[in-house]
Amino acid sequence: MAVSNEFVANATLSENGNVPRVRRQSFSKSVRQWWPYYLMMAPGLIFFVIFHYFPIWEAKIAFEQLRIIPPNIWVGVKHFQTLFSSPIFWQVLANTLIISTMKIVFFFPVPIIVALLLNEIRGGAFRKFIQSAIYLPHFLSWVVIAGVFIAVLSPSDGAVNDVLGFFGVQPVSFMTDNGSIRWVLVFSEIWRSAGWDSLLYLAAIIAIDQELYDAAEIDGANRWQKIRYVTIPGIVPTIATLFILNAGMFLNADLNQVINFSNDVVRSKIDIIDTYVYRIGLQTGEYSLATAAGLFKAVLGMLMIVAAHLLSKRLTGKGVW
Amino acid sequence: MAAHNVRRTPLERLEYAIIVSTLLFLVVLTVQPLLNLLAISFSDPGKVAGMSGLTVIPNGFSTEVWNLLVNNSAVQRGLFNSIFITLVSTALGVVLTALMAWALSRPGLPGRRIIFVFVLVTIVFEPGIIPDYFINKRLGLLDSYWSLILFKVVNAWYLIILVRFFEEVPKELIEASELDGANPFQIFWYVALPLAKSALATIALFYFVFHWNEFFRAMIYLNDQSKWPLQVVLRQFVVEGDKLAMVGVVDSNNYTGASQINIRALKAGMILLTIAPILAIYPLILKFFTKGTMSGALKG
Repeated sequence: MAVSNEFVANATLSENGNVPRVRRQSFSKSVRQWWPYYLMMAPGLIFFVIFHYFPIWEAKIAFEQLRIIPPNIWVGVKHFQTLFSSPIFWQVLANTLIISTMKIVFFFPVPIIVALLLNEIRGGAFRKFIQSAIYLPHFLSWVVIAGVFIAVLSPSDGAVNDVLGFFGVQPVSFMTDNGSIRWVLVFSEIWRSAGWDSLLYLAAIIAIDQELYDAAEIDGANRWQKIRYVTIPGIVPTIATLFILNAGMFLNADLNQVINFSNDVVRSKIDIIDTYVYRIGLQTGEYSLATAAGLFKAVLGMLMIVAAHLLSKRLTGKGVW
Repeated sequence: MAAHNVRRTPLERLEYAIIVSTLLFLVVLTVQPLLNLLAISFSDPGKVAGMSGLTVIPNGFSTEVWNLLVNNSAVQRGLFNSIFITLVSTALGVVLTALMAWALSRPGLPGRRIIFVFVLVTIVFEPGIIPDYFINKRLGLLDSYWSLILFKVVNAWYLIILVRFFEEVPKELIEASELDGANPFQIFWYVALPLAKSALATIALFYFVFHWNEFFRAMIYLNDQSKWPLQVVLRQFVVEGDKLAMVGVVDSNNYTGASQINIRALKAGMILLTIAPILAIYPLILKFFTKGTMSGALKG
């Protein structure tokens, strides 16, 4: 309750004129009129304060030396210096950027192609059948998907090696191969989300004015010309928006995915900032250093997502929120 | 497409055949791995060893693996924990999100913009798992179901979706109810919620899928294995390759079958068991998620 009252006060201060008498009157009036709504919001607001704003305050341990008996000692940017002088941190940062780049280059176009193909399918029931199948993996957890990939990529009896074996290729243990593990991340991402993400583009395609297709038809355009000159230009704004937003999430190489595809053999290739924070923080107990790494990512990530939002708003009129 | 009444040339038919087969190939790539696991889990345990990853037909037929799974105490506990955590946090999440969204959607609410910014900040700035862990520790939530139930119990994205929906509720309806003497809570309950049935169903499904699939928080917050949700049990068994977690320390003595029965078949069954609730509600997911995403994309 204290929280919501504070907001009433703040809000009144900011939204009303600067004549004190009027402010006081409208303050009590707005409290009388609006208190039920602040009451409705109270549980949600309290939740956000405790589980989203307190942790921001708690992140100050990145600047402190933790002591078993409080208080902690303020050490300034010492942990950040340790972090930036650690070769592992730069390796982890490089891994994050490499994996994100691979995903943008090799994942990003796939849903667009899937949407273009789906749009060519005549017969609603047949299209629905395809959609129902390819959307499914998006709703499975990364634990499940890792389980599926471990089975599919198994060197002894996995489907992929069975096919490769048919062509005389020796079995490859993709999950424990430093050369292939990043590709496993890219392909599992495609398997999980390329189908579902195509829905966003399909929605944009459906919104294209049918008259444009009719006009193209009259001009004698064939299937490819219609795709090239009507469909693709029609979804360029959506492509631009999603590309910018994806770029804004560049530092999020997906903890939940990596942590399930990681093992001792390939860790150095796919250890990302988030898994590094988890490892040195919760497993090794270097809380301050881990929090410093987490804060580094949080601040950089925030700048990137806000920049992406503003850029997208400016270019396409659509933002993140 | 208007192309319906045009006669097709052989080239056009070939193009169409290529498009259809490409998509069908994607369908096979998506579904075959799951069907393979299904076939393995229902095969005769003695015949699983040589089965190819490509087959979708069981080798012999047996429900032994499934019998073992549903009678395994680690699985039973995991299933119970998952269902409990998912249902409680979904219910709580829908109620709290709807209440907050309705209030936030009221035009003229003083402080509306500030609260919006307050919520948006939580989306763009996440200080990471260590501070998060410390908050839960400080609140005494470690090793408690509540650390998972309260995790993103109000999801900022879903909140915004619902606010956008409530903003569309016609003003006249609200004013008419106010004239009838309804208070804000009655308006919320009798006017807003019934209008928002499909939006609420969508949000409920979002929460359900989110909480059912959550494993990371459970992994770091719950030391007590008896509180683990199914995802963590699955992870320990399939990803970490820890047979004991699956079999359970208590059961390990009277569960000698575990070493004899094919572990591959047991893993296959375990994966499918974890997916089962998602498959059960998949028709609903398709209906509501698809509609939600489509309209969201159209409106921008």
